[in-house]
Amino acid sequence: MSLVRLHDLTLGYERRPAVHHLDGAFDEARVTAVVGPNGSGKSTLLKGLAGALAPLSGRVDRGGLKPSQIAYLPQDHGVDRDFPMTLGELVALGLWGRRGLFGAVTHQDRHRIEEAMRAVGLSGFEGRALRSVSGGQLQRALFARVLVQDARLILLDEPFTALDARTSDDLIALVKRWPSEGRTVVMVLHDLDMVRDTCADTLLLAREKVSWAPTEQALAPEHLLTARRLSEAWSDGAGVCNRDHAA
Amino acid sequence: MSAVHAGAEFALPMALAGGLALALGGAPLGVMLIARRMSLVGDALSHGILPGAALAYLIAGPDPVAMTVGALFAGFIVAGMSSLLARTKRMPEDAAFAVFYLSALALGVLILGRNANAEVVFDLLFGAAKGLDATALLVSAGAATATLFALALFIRGFLAESADPVFMRASGLPGGLLHLLLMMLVALNLVAGFRAFGALMTVGLMMIPAAASRFWARSYVGQAGVAVLISALSSGAGLILAHRFGAEPGATMTLTAASLFILSALVGSNNGLLQNLPGRTHLEG
Repeated sequence: MSLVRLHDLTLGYERRPAVHHLDGAFDEARVTAVVGPNGSGKSTLLKGLAGALAPLSGRVDRGGLKPSQIAYLPQDHGVDRDFPMTLGELVALGLWGRRGLFGAVTHQDRHRIEEAMRAVGLSGFEGRALRSVSGGQLQRALFARVLVQDARLILLDEPFTALDARTSDDLIALVKRWPSEGRTVVMVLHDLDMVRDTCADTLLLAREKVSWAPTEQALAPEHLLTARRLSEAWSDGAGVCNRDHAA
Repeated sequence: MSAVHAGAEFALPMALAGGLALALGGAPLGVMLIARRMSLVGDALSHGILPGAALAYLIAGPDPVAMTVGALFAGFIVAGMSSLLARTKRMPEDAAFAVFYLSALALGVLILGRNANAEVVFDLLFGAAKGLDATALLVSAGAATATLFALALFIRGFLAESADPVFMRASGLPGGLLHLLLMMLVALNLVAGFRAFGALMTVGLMMIPAAASRFWARSYVGQAGVAVLISALSSGAGLILAHRFGAEPGATMTLTAASLFILSALVGSNNGLLQNLPGRTHLEG
């Protein structure tokens, strides 16, 4: 069963499409990889799924998910490392959906934060200032926040870039558990071996859909070649797209 | 400048109470602005209130209530328009502020132009001790109360929005409204202090103790507490010095705060310079 459906979705910036006329659906409780060359619209798609970027045309049907049920880790996470805040407080932001602006943080909530920090290997780091932790530790904390958030749709944009092997192995193990908990994961990745190992489905993107299928099928050599050719076709003097009117 | 000669003529107890109110309201806001990398926004807003105060002066003469209301009105407009423009993501917030505060300043100069002498402009920006009256005290106390109340009520939202705006926007936090509220609180506190201490000097009392507090505490709440303390000390000592030597209180308060900043930067327990001298022993882990 699908959780999120895309209907002729075009996303972009300043009227230029970065993702062009995309149709399809992300199945519930599955891990889907979004793969494609640089500039193929992967991050833009995730932004659109998260609701952080309004479509130029078409729409995203999130099946009634509330914003707090969607966890989104952008590639350049927006965390201000200089802000006077501890790792524990950053993880606690995941409570937002349940507690909002004024709700009290319960004993159970605190327990949930501790559990999440233990799950990502950060026990004892609750009091560390954001500015004093490494990139890998921060990424672990952001995963802990996803756990606290208890989201149904999890959007990860190159979540393992610049992490050491142990950290990425730990976090991949977490991701692999999520479908069995009923969570749907959409993850931008570059490492095709990792995609084959981790993701049941793959969307191969080159501004438009090249293939969206079970991973082995999607990553067939002819599809990868098509993706590379398509993403290089970009023109400064592009005219108005009239597929909108033809549809 | 006759404003300078008016220096010592103010009631010290009333001024001390006013200074304390400014410290209580302004310093925690200063810490928030610095943490959000918006240190110069206070400065911009302090210029932005000029046309409101000037227009009120033109209509009602040097009436304290009218000038306060006018300044507040102008401050809210500059804060609101800048935040709105920045939210559309067409330009960074500091650029938006630059556009609006410079326009506001020019408008203020135009309004005052032929209708007032230089003394009025000088008083607006740098303060005049004669502005320290019961109305000023009431406005300062009101601003401090409103600020502390709003901070207590919305602190979770302010911190979340400052530390990770992308995540909070995705989670449905009304970040734009909170940001606007913060800017309006800054405007309110500047207006509270501008007649007595001057718009620019009030910014000094808001920002310099906040900058100093980073050398003493790590968390926002810790820094806010230290900033209030330093700000209260600065205003107290500055006012006593001004009263004793007939100097302008806004200036003595700001310079006292600056001295405490230098002291904090040297001996502060959180990353102070003396802690990091070459050759010092390091910790085990």
